[in-house]
Parts: sequence; C-alpha cells; structure tokens
Amino acid sequence: MTPPSTDSASAPSRRRRWVGGSSAIVAVAAGVLVLLALLALLADVVTPYDPLKQNLIKALQWPSASHWLGTDDLGRDVFSRLIYGCRIAVIAAAEATTIAVLLGVPIGLFIGYRGGWWDWVVMRVVEAIVSIPGIMVAIVILALLGTGLHKAMIALGILFSTSFLRLARGVVLAEREEVYVRSARVVGASDSRILLRHIFPNIAPPLIVQVTLTVGAVLLAEAGLSFIGLGVQPPDASWGTMLSTAAAFMDLHWFLAIPPGIAIIVTVLSVNLIGDVIRDSIGRGIAVGVRPGTPAARFESAAPPAEAAGPVGVAIDNPVLRVEGLQVMVAARDGGEIPVITDLSLGIAKGETLGLVGESGSGKTLTGLAILGLMGTGVRTTHGSIALNGRELRSLSSSQMEDVRGNEVAMVFQDPTTSLNPAFTVGSQIAEVLRTKKGMNRKEAWERVVELIHRVGIPRPEERARAYPHELSGGMAQRIAIARALSCNPSLLIADEPTTALDVTVQQEILDLFRDLQDEFGMAILFVTHDLAVAADVCDRISVMYAGEMVEMAGVDQLFAMPRHPYTRGLLTAMPHASDRNPPLPTIRGSVPRPGSWATGCRFSNRCDFRTAACDRRIPLMGRERLVRCVRADELVLEAAQ
Amino acid sequence: MFRLVFQRLLALAPLLFIVSVLTFSFTSLLPSDPVDLIIGDTGTQEQHEMLRERLGLNQPIVVRYFQWLGRAVQGDLGTSFFNSVSVTGAVMQRLPVTLSLTLVSALIAIAVGVAAGVAAALRPRSWVDRAATVGATIGQAIPNFWFGLLLVAIFAVNLRWFPATGFTPISVSPWDWLRSVTLPALALGLSSSAAIARQVRSAMVGVLQQDYIRAARAQGLSQRRVILRHALTNAMVPVVAVLSFQITGLLGGALIVEQVFSINGLGTLAIGAVRQQDIPMIQGLVLVMVALVVVVQLATDVVYGLLNPKARPS
Repeated sequence: MTPPSTDSASAPSRRRRWVGGSSAIVAVAAGVLVLLALLALLADVVTPYDPLKQNLIKALQWPSASHWLGTDDLGRDVFSRLIYGCRIAVIAAAEATTIAVLLGVPIGLFIGYRGGWWDWVVMRVVEAIVSIPGIMVAIVILALLGTGLHKAMIALGILFSTSFLRLARGVVLAEREEVYVRSARVVGASDSRILLRHIFPNIAPPLIVQVTLTVGAVLLAEAGLSFIGLGVQPPDASWGTMLSTAAAFMDLHWFLAIPPGIAIIVTVLSVNLIGDVIRDSIGRGIAVGVRPGTPAARFESAAPPAEAAGPVGVAIDNPVLRVEGLQVMVAARDGGEIPVITDLSLGIAKGETLGLVGESGSGKTLTGLAILGLMGTGVRTTHGSIALNGRELRSLSSSQMEDVRGNEVAMVFQDPTTSLNPAFTVGSQIAEVLRTKKGMNRKEAWERVVELIHRVGIPRPEERARAYPHELSGGMAQRIAIARALSCNPSLLIADEPTTALDVTVQQEILDLFRDLQDEFGMAILFVTHDLAVAADVCDRISVMYAGEMVEMAGVDQLFAMPRHPYTRGLLTAMPHASDRNPPLPTIRGSVPRPGSWATGCRFSNRCDFRTAACDRRIPLMGRERLVRCVRADELVLEAAQ
Repeated sequence: MFRLVFQRLLALAPLLFIVSVLTFSFTSLLPSDPVDLIIGDTGTQEQHEMLRERLGLNQPIVVRYFQWLGRAVQGDLGTSFFNSVSVTGAVMQRLPVTLSLTLVSALIAIAVGVAAGVAAALRPRSWVDRAATVGATIGQAIPNFWFGLLLVAIFAVNLRWFPATGFTPISVSPWDWLRSVTLPALALGLSSSAAIARQVRSAMVGVLQQDYIRAARAQGLSQRRVILRHALTNAMVPVVAVLSFQITGLLGGALIVEQVFSINGLGTLAIGAVRQQDIPMIQGLVLVMVALVVVVQLATDVVYGLLNPKARPS
C-alpha cells in the first residue's frame, strides 16, 4: 500500500503484449467493470437475500441452489453480501480517488507555480509521507479521525494525494518555462488565469493515467483496512470485512475466503488492464512502430554458390585463419532467412594484418563475430569453413568454442568505454580472464595484469589496474581492452574499428601500439575498418567488402596504386586528403543495399558508372595474386585516385 | 565504504526529523482530550488538572515536542495512555516479530524475483518469460492477506505442514521460528517478487545487449560467468535503486499479514493504538517505522554504491 507512481509505468507496453494485448481480455475487463458498476447501482434489486439477515441454523453452508455461494458464520447469504460489497468498492474507489485528486492537484499546481519556500516545505512533507509505509500513514490519520469507511477513504485520499501533488507540480514546472506560458505572462495574464487556461489542460493526460493507477491501489488498500478492522465496520458487508470473517473460520469453512478474494482480484486486475490500455493510448499517442524491413527477393540458393572461389584468395601457406565460402544468414520476420554474408574467403598468415574495409552495412563486423561464433540470436553460419590454426571452428561445441575464444582468438571492440564492464576494476577484468582461461592464482594473475598494462603503454600500471573504466580516458580504456585481448596470447586478434571512437590524436598512438604488439606477440590481425587511411597505415593486405561479399583483395600498395573494382576506386576517391581541401569530396552515390534486396548479379551495379548487361549475371571473384569481383576489371583501366 | 555509509546517513537524517515533527504535530491535533481518554468523565476537576500537569499538556506544543524528542533520542518514547506500559518496551517486544517477517519476506521476494527475472530475460517470449509477466500482472492484483489466507487453507489446515497461527521467536527454537514465519513471509514476499522480477527482467534485457557482455563472451568467459557476474551485477543496479521502496512496502504489508496469522507484532500494536487513540504509542510506532525505513534505505544505498562504482564518493 504505497502511493502508485507513474515511474513504474515502464512495464505496460510489455504487459500489454502478453496479457492486455488480446482485445478479448480487454473486453472481458471492461465487462467486469461495467458489471461491477451495475451491481453496485442495483444491489437492492438483484440481491436474493438481505445481506444483514442472520439465520444461525443455516450458518457456514456450502454453495447450494438457495445460497449460490453458501452462507457465513451468522447464516447470512454470501452472494448477497458480495454484491453489496461491489457498492462499497465503487464508493471507496470513487471517494478516495476524488479526495486524492482534489487535494493533490491544486496544492501541486500552487507550489509548482509559486516555488520558493512553499514548494520546499510541502515537498519535504510529501517526501516524509511517501517514505513511510502507506498503511502507517493511514493508521496515523485514522487515529485522528476514528474508524469507518468514509474516514478510511479520507485517509487513503490524503495518502494517495501525494502522487497527484507530485504529478501536478511536475507538469507545472515543465510548462511554466514554455514559451507560450511566458508570453502569456508578458502580456499580463494573471497567475490564476495562466494556471487555469494554459497549464491545467496539460495535466489531463497524465492525470487520467494516475487515476487508473490509484483506483486499483485504493481497492486493495480499502480491502486491507477493512480486513484489519479500520475501514468498513461490521455488520456492513465489504469484501475486506468478509475476508476478515473468513480469516476467523479458516479451519472450519475455508470457502468463505474464496468469493470476496476472487472479487477483489478480478476487479483490480480489470482496472489495471484497462488502465494499461488507457496509459498506452494516452502516453504513447499512436505508436510509431518501426516498419519491418521489406525482405525483397529472397535468396534462393540454399546450396553453396556453384562458383565458390575455392582456395582463391587464401593462397597463403600455413595461414593462422582460413575462411572459405562462408555464408551467414539472418532470420527474417516472415520466418525465413536472408543472407548477410555470402561466399566469403580469406586467409591471414602469422604476423600479418589483413584489413577488412567497406561502408557500414557491408558485413565486416559480422565477419569478425562469425569467426568468434558470437553473432547473436537469429544469425547463423550456414555454409563454408572457418579454420583457425588448422582446426575447423564451425564443428566445435559451444564449450569448445568458449575455450578457443580468449586463448586462440580475441577481439577488440570499437568503443572501449562500453566494452569494459563498468562494475569492475579494469585490472580485475584482465585478471579474471587469466584466472579462468589460464588457471593462474590471484597473485600470479595480478602480476601479469600489471605487466600487461605496462606493456600497452600505460604509466603507473599498479594504480591504473585498480581504476574503474569510467575513470579512464577513451585511449587508455582501449589500451586496457587490448591488454585484455592479448592476455592469453591469442594467435589471431580481431580488431573491430578499434580507433574509430577515439580522438584523432589518440588514434595514431593506438595504431602504433598494434604494430608494436604484433612485432612482439606475432599474432595475426584481422583489422576491420571503414577508414582506408587507417587501413593503409596498419595493414599488409586489404579486403574490400561490399553488401556481404568481398569485391577486391590486394596488397596495400597495389590496392592504392591501382584499384581494380569500381567500388574500391569510389572509396579511394572519397578519402579525404590533408593536402587538397578545396574540391568537395566526391561521394559514391546511393547507399549499400540492405540484405535481402541485393541484385543477383553485381551487387554494386546500381551505383556503378561502368555497368553493362554482363553485370546482371552472378560474378565470381577472379584472379590469383590479387582478386576482384568485376566483369570489366581487365577492360577498364582504372587509374589510381592519387 | 565508511565514507559511503556516512555520506548516505547524513542525507537521510533530516527525514527522521521531519517525520517526527509531522507525527507529533499531527497527533496533537487530536480532537478528543487525552485526559478524558485516560480517566474518563468520572474524575474530578482536580484530577484532570493534575494529570494534565503530569503529562505536560499545559506547555506549548513546541516545548512538548522537544521534550518528547529529547526523551525519544534517549530511547524513552513515553507511556501508553491506555495501559501505562512503556511505549519503548511494547514496541521493542514486538519489533523482532515484524522485523523477522519483513526480512524473510524480503529475502523471498529478492530470491524469487531475481531468479524469475533472469530466467525471463535469458529467453524472451519463452514460457518462463510469459509466466513471469502474467504472474507479475496477477500478483499486483492479489491482496497479500488473501494470499495468506489461501496458504493457511492449503498448507496449514489441509496439509498441516505449517502452523496456521502464532509466532515462535528464533531464540526459542530456530526450527519452529522458520515454520511459523514461512507462510506469512511467502504471502508477503511472493507478490513483491513479481514486481522485482519485472524490474530485473527489463534491466537484464538491456544489459545483455551491452558491448561489455559481448566483449566478455569474446574473451571466452563461460556463459554462467557472463550472466551471473558480468550481466547480473549491472542489471541489479537499477533494481537495488528502488528496492528500498519494495522493502518499505513489505514492512507495511507485514502489519496486515500479521493479522491473518494472529501474529502479535507491530501491526496488532498499531491497530490497538488507533482504536484507543493512544497518541504516545502511535508517535512511537511511527518513529520506529521511520528509523527502520532509514536503515533499509541506508542498506540499499550502500549496496547500490558497491554495485555501481560511479555512485561512490571519490
């Protein structure tokens, strides 16, 4: 029994989906409330017996044809008493809610508008009232007023007025600084006029919401107060007093507790459900639903693409990572699946850095996650092979994969401030990995942590190890994330845009760190970035991805000197150069098509200046040393952008 | 840690003061004369005056308040108007009863709520999730004292697993204490667990989408460790922030549920005091309640600080 507050109203949308979402249930709830009102109104007519008429011979009877719900300890008809209880419930809800509104809203409007010490004093009082259990507040008030239904409802009205007071005050505080209120003040409207004409209308929607919350709470509170004998007094019938009687006869006739209990639950449930519906329609307006992406032409081939490039593009001896013909599908809303990565093959040698470059939406990050087996629900690899140090990862069980992650492959994420857990010190997060993956004891782990933190270039490592993520700068947090990723000395490091979220000045330091660490640890790096300048800086080779497939792969120098795919060329010309600022940067027109709406032929063709009819057929990745997925690659002499 | 406790205590102290002022001045508004209440209409004029003098009712209210507060701080909450027992004694005798009921129900609410919330969050739209949501909706509509009656009918009257009424102090017999406190604590705790489950679920669903969870998985930490350590620690932050309201609600609910099980706790004392308009008793009860609320608030604030490094004083 605490004044309900709208703060807790985050649940309705979800609840509505499961319970109230069904319009049948809402209709039932509305029906219950209508029935309740009718019974309250017509109680004198519809009840078969006088609710107070005793008949001791027929006490504590089970339901029968003459007494539908049996009789109580004094032989009174339970059904008739239940119906009179409806009347009490309606009166109680109306009375207490009205008092709460009439008391809370004006005071809230007043103190919100006046501010100053009025506001301060009243708010301290309100805080004091809401801090103690609501029942205790009601008890104190009832000590003053005495017991009885109406007095109890005054007490509840005072108690629940605090939430209306806070609501009204909140609205006024928000509205009084609005332009139209200030301009009304400027033209000389009186305070009361401003309150009534300009501010009051804004209170109506949240007020209605709060009323629905309060009605349910009042019904429960009234039953509680009557149950402990401070509300409705015997012999009058209310659901609370009926339960009070039932409590005394639990061992003799437990059935007495059932009808009033069900009545309370069904009523409160109905009020709450209707309240949810009102809240959703008022609070959210017309829901602005996210339109599901229209999955256009579905990807037909369930079998691996016929012209899968095979070993093309992974012509590396003894690679650390070898991905072949990888296909990743995502669950569509219609129950089917849409491909997001197709026919992807790549390899990385020890000590080598392969850049994975493309616009957002090209599938580069997903490639990294697919290697780790961490794509999330609804996404799965359907074809191809991912071999790490010669071992096929796709066939591993989830616990075997857990063992691989951290030990053999680790990942550094884009935003270091969100990829470290805010609840733990950074040192403990690295130590945790060492202890669970390497079985180190606390002391060994900590020594190694300090060593690692020192190694990634952070001064005073012992001290920094005890810092929480929010106490570190972005650059420092990324160094910590790198230290954690390297803690188990993995043979492959996946870096997903590791410098994108950092200041430009810090970016270079982190890139240098990657190079240094690679020299020392010798791991292979898959470096995912949208920034060709960054890729040029750290990578040995670059794979360009577009719409879920690789369109070109070459050594850095070759790629920059002579891009062969029109998309690569577009990316290069879109690169900013410090030297020439004046000509506006050319951009590639259009955007990456969404998965599910890819062309069957060249996926870039609709943005390409060199499109021909041949581009509408499926195009394989061609070449030996460097690869390109373009039918006109040989014929087009694409000059380097530089 | 010490600084955290001290800082929070300093912030909460004014609440005690304000509530004491409010309670004292409010109960002084009582229309009927306490002197009449105590000796009735039969006493002589002199007897009335003497009692008035003895109770200090001749003095201005401000003086009376500070006298009362001065004694209250020393642990003397005055004497009941009705039966001349010490208010402190009466309250302290019943406090362990209500307190153990509240604490056990809080434990049930938190344990069930967190477990159900995590289970629901891990498998959105599964039957666990649906059950938790429907349970929370219905749980909000069930009066806890009625739920108590139902438990009595099933587990005490029918199955005879637990006593239907009464309370055994833990000092007398821990086993009997547990048996006597189980049903009332369940009646009280389960309805709150529904609310907690809902909060845990929504917090957990949000946390599970965070980068640091994916990063922890990428580091090869086990699913159990990721969920229970990395995710739950963070998901509990917003839950603990509002937990004191839940526990305060349980404290109030305990006053009513006590009546179902004929447990002689603070609730019985309060109801009797209201009927008899026993002002010192009510004043004392409110003060003790607020003190409990402050302790609960302090405890949850400290846990909040432990879970959330950003909330700690630096």
